[in-house]
Amino acid sequence: MTAQNAVSSISTGARDDPRAVGSRLSWSKLAAVFVVGLWLFPFYWIVLTSLKPIKEINNAVPIFIFSPTVENYQELFTKFDFARVLMNSLLITFVSCFVVIGLGVLAAYALARMRVPGEKHIALWILSQRFLPPIAVAIPFYIQWQDLNLLDTYVGLILIYVAFNLPFAIWMMRGFLADVPVALEEAALLDGLTRLQIILRIVVPVVMPGIAATAIFTFVFTWNEYLMALMLTAYRSVTVPVTIAKFVEPYTVLWGSLSAAVVIQVAPMLVVVFLLQRHIVRGMTLGAVK
Amino acid sequence: MTLQLQKLQKAYPSGFVAVKGINLDVEDGEFFTLLGPSGCGKTTTLRMIAGLETPSAGRIFIGGRDFTDTHPRNRDVAMVFQSYALYPHMTVRENLRLNLEIKRVPRADIEERVRSVARMLDIASLLDRKPGELSGGQRQRVALGRALIRRPNIFLMDEPLSNLDLKLRERTRTELKKLHETLRVTTIYVTHDQAEALVLSNRIGIMNGGDIIQVGTPQEIYDRPHNVFVAKFIGTPSVNLLNVSIQNLEGLLAIRLTGSEKPLSSILVPASDDVFRRLGPAETQLILGVRPEAIAVLTEAHADAVPAEVELVEPMGSVNHIVLRFGKDVETTADGEPLIAVVTSSELLQRGEKAWIRLRPERLVLFDKTSERALAILAGQRWEAT
Repeated sequence: MTAQNAVSSISTGARDDPRAVGSRLSWSKLAAVFVVGLWLFPFYWIVLTSLKPIKEINNAVPIFIFSPTVENYQELFTKFDFARVLMNSLLITFVSCFVVIGLGVLAAYALARMRVPGEKHIALWILSQRFLPPIAVAIPFYIQWQDLNLLDTYVGLILIYVAFNLPFAIWMMRGFLADVPVALEEAALLDGLTRLQIILRIVVPVVMPGIAATAIFTFVFTWNEYLMALMLTAYRSVTVPVTIAKFVEPYTVLWGSLSAAVVIQVAPMLVVVFLLQRHIVRGMTLGAVK
Repeated sequence: MTLQLQKLQKAYPSGFVAVKGINLDVEDGEFFTLLGPSGCGKTTTLRMIAGLETPSAGRIFIGGRDFTDTHPRNRDVAMVFQSYALYPHMTVRENLRLNLEIKRVPRADIEERVRSVARMLDIASLLDRKPGELSGGQRQRVALGRALIRRPNIFLMDEPLSNLDLKLRERTRTELKKLHETLRVTTIYVTHDQAEALVLSNRIGIMNGGDIIQVGTPQEIYDRPHNVFVAKFIGTPSVNLLNVSIQNLEGLLAIRLTGSEKPLSSILVPASDDVFRRLGPAETQLILGVRPEAIAVLTEAHADAVPAEVELVEPMGSVNHIVLRFGKDVETTADGEPLIAVVTSSELLQRGEKAWIRLRPERLVLFDKTSERALAILAGQRWEAT
C-alpha cells in the first residue's frame, strides 16, 4: 500500500474500502449498470436473434427463451456465399492494415525525427486529408477506377483504404514517436546500428503500444467501411458490410441471415482488439530514461 | 588513444555559438574532465566528439586520425548518457550484448565479456531483468557496463552521476576512479560538479561561455586559477575576493584592504621586480583572492589582524564555516559575497561576537580589477608573476 493509499483510507474509512464494493448499492453504480446494459442490449438481442428459428424471430411478442438453432448461419454460408465475402473482407482489411502501418511508421518517423524541409507544412497537409468527407470523392474515384480497370478488385479497394487511413495513422504515430527519447536512438547509433536497425530493433518495440492503438483504429475503420466498398465493388471483391446491407430487401428484411452476418462481422474485431490490447501496456518506456 | 580538438566550433542557425573554437589535447589513458556551469558548451563538445553533433568548424583527431566526418557508428567511442538511455524492452544482458552482436563478435567471446563486466560492476544478479525493474544506481552501473564491454578507444561520460543521491554518488565516484586506474581507457567526462572533477580527473578543462578558460591538474587549477571565474568555480566554500591596493615596501609587496589604513602585515612577503611591473604603480586597485582556509579567526585583537564581526556560524561536522563582516571602515568583498572562513569545529565562535581576521600567506592570488585575470600568485614565500 502506498503512502497515498494509506492516508486516504485513514481519512475516509470504510467508504473507500474496495472489499466493501459488492455490499453497497449506490445510485452511481446503478446508473452505470443501466447505461452499460442499454448499450449492450442491442448486441445481445442480435446474438439471440441469430440463434432463433425464423418463426420465432418474426413473432409479435419478443421471445427470450427458445431452443437455439444454427440454421441462420448455415443459410448464410450456403445461400449467400458468405465464406467468400468474409475472406474478401479479411484479406482486404489485413493487407490494408499492414501497408498503412508499414508506410505510416516510416513516414511518421521521418516527420518526427528527421529535419525535412517544410515539415510543418507537410504534416498539416497530411492531416488535412482527413478533413475531406469520403462521399465527396466517391464518384470521382469510381470514374478513375473504371478507367484503370480497378473496379470490383482487391487492389482497387486496398488502395482506397490505404489512402484514407494513412493520414490518420501518420498523425497518430508521429505523436507516439515524438515521445520516444532521442537519447535511446543516439545510444543505439553509438552502438553501431544503422538507421533502419534502430527503427526496427529499438524504436518499433518501444512504440509498440502506439502501433497497436493505430492498428486497432485502422482495422476497425477498414473492416466496417461501407460507402467506398459499395461504390467500388460488385460481386468479386464485395465485403461484409455491403453484403449485410443486401439483407434489407425491398419487401422484407432477412432478419435471420442479417443477425448471423452481423455476429460474424463483429467477431474478428473483438479478436483483433483483444490480441492487440496486450501490447498497450502502461509504462512501456519505464526504465529507459530517468 | 589520444584525442585532439582543433579550433572546434559549434554555431547554430539562430546565431548562438555554443562552442567557440576550442583546442584540446588529451593524452592516451587520461581522465579528462570538462567542468563548467550549465550552458557553457561542455555537453555540446562531448556530443561533437561522439559524432552526435556536427561541428561548424574545426577538426577532431582520435589516435592521430581525423574522425571529424566519420559517422558516429564508426568512431568506436562509447558514451554513458546522463539519462542512461538503456533499451527498455531488452533485458540487462541484451542491453550489454547489442553492440557486440552488431559487430559480429563470436558468441563465446560475448558470453565471456558479459560475465566479466557483470562481475566487475556487480550486476551479475540483474542480467535477466529489464531496466524498468532496476534502481537508479543499478541502471547507472548497467549503462557503464554497456560502455565498458565494448573496450572502446574513448569513453565519453555526460554527467553520469548527477541523478544519484549523495552517498551513492560518492561511492560510485570512487568505483569509477578505481575502474579507470585499472583499465586506463582515455575518458572525457562532463560535469558541473567540481567535487567530482577534482576527485576523478588527471586534468580538468574549465569551460565558460563556449571557451576553455583553463586546463590543468586539479591542484594546479585550485592553486593557480587564471582568472576570477576559475577561482570562484573551484573550491567549497567559494574563494573570498577582497578589494585591495598595493605598495612596494623595499621589495616587499604590501597589501592594504581598501578602507583600512595599514597594510596587512601577516602577508608581507617579497616579490620580484617582474611582479611589481605587472601589478602596476603604488595604490593600484586590485582584487585579492583568499581561500577560506587561509583566514584565521581570532577572538582577541592583534596588531596584524583586522577587526570584524561574526555574522553566522555554519557547522559542517569537523569544520565550521564562519561568515564574517568587516568593521565599518573597510569595504565589503569585491563581489558582494560574504567573507567566509573555515576553521576547525573546536574553535567556538558565536554569532554577533567580535572577531579579528588574520590572513595566512597561503594560495593568495592577485587579480586585475577590470579584466579579472590573475596577475600574481603567492607560491612558497614569494609572489610570482602568472
